Amino acid sequence: MSDLNHQHQDQFLRLFAENEPVLRTFVRSLVPSLADTSEVMQEVAVVLWQKFAEFDATRDFRKWAFGVARYEVLAYLRDRARDRHVFNDELVGRLADDAAATAPQHEAQRDALETCLQKLTEAQRTLVLSAYARDTRMNELATQRGQTAMSLYKLLHRIRQALLHCVRRQLRLEVLT
Amino acid sequence: MKSNWHETIQRYLDGLLSAEEVTELHEALYENAELRALYLDYINLDVALGTAAEAALLGENGIGKTAIFPRPPARLSTPSWRWLGATAACAALVVFAMLSTHRDSSRARPDIDATLSSTQSAIARLSVEPASPLPAWMSPTASLLDQSQTSE
Repeated sequence: MSDLNHQHQDQFLRLFAENEPVLRTFVRSLVPSLADTSEVMQEVAVVLWQKFAEFDATRDFRKWAFGVARYEVLAYLRDRARDRHVFNDELVGRLADDAAATAPQHEAQRDALETCLQKLTEAQRTLVLSAYARDTRMNELATQRGQTAMSLYKLLHRIRQALLHCVRRQLRLEVLT
Repeated sequence: MKSNWHETIQRYLDGLLSAEEVTELHEALYENAELRALYLDYINLDVALGTAAEAALLGENGIGKTAIFPRPPARLSTPSWRWLGATAACAALVVFAMLSTHRDSSRARPDIDATLSSTQSAIARLSVEPASPLPAWMSPTASLLDQSQTSE
């Protein structure tokens, strides 16, 4: 493989890895579930690589990748248009515009999350991270804790809401200081 | 803005909303920019918590170092839908990384089709997703809701 191709691959890897979290959040905001996100992200990664030779390196990779992802999401959702959980094209358009515009803010929120997780009690932190851990199923987690599934969901909702308030407050504080 | 949108959005993310509630949420999201901002913040939090949970498991951050996140005792043989995406993305990156790492040992130039084919194959092999992926609308939480409603 030529050095030029090596550089090409390295450049793609670097840009993709750098933007994968925001791209995943972008896709996740437009599809009904994380399983859908997984499927779309696989397609997006392949299409980005296929088209990378056409990418103008002087342009913004993220903006270009969002455009590709948006197209892939729309194609994916059209195949599932009869599913009531699927957004229509107009709503996808509005959400995509908003998601692209708020990507930097969401990166900052992700950075603030670690601080906010530390502000939870140990029990709250363990619970929320357990709920998001690989292979965890909520009904089994509820059984282990001696709770009903719905009471566990309500507890998680309160913790997530508290985390969201915290990261928003953190960003406001950062702006003020 | 309706005071319980926080709850509604989270229930939507967990697959717990009824069809009527989903329709109401979609309509409200279309009309209300403030609600879209809230929805996107929750989406971002949802994805970030998945990453944080993985990092805590791996002990790669401060949380992991203080060992406050024990691995849940019960594990299922079936994979969690939350982690399908992360696995697939990592698989893609691993394949690309492997291509880069081994480039010096292989002087032959693989064509793009072969590269993409191997990438897709690797994704299929490395992903924990079963051969037949879950339908788009289906998540473990949907069946959970049914069970919960039955039991209550």
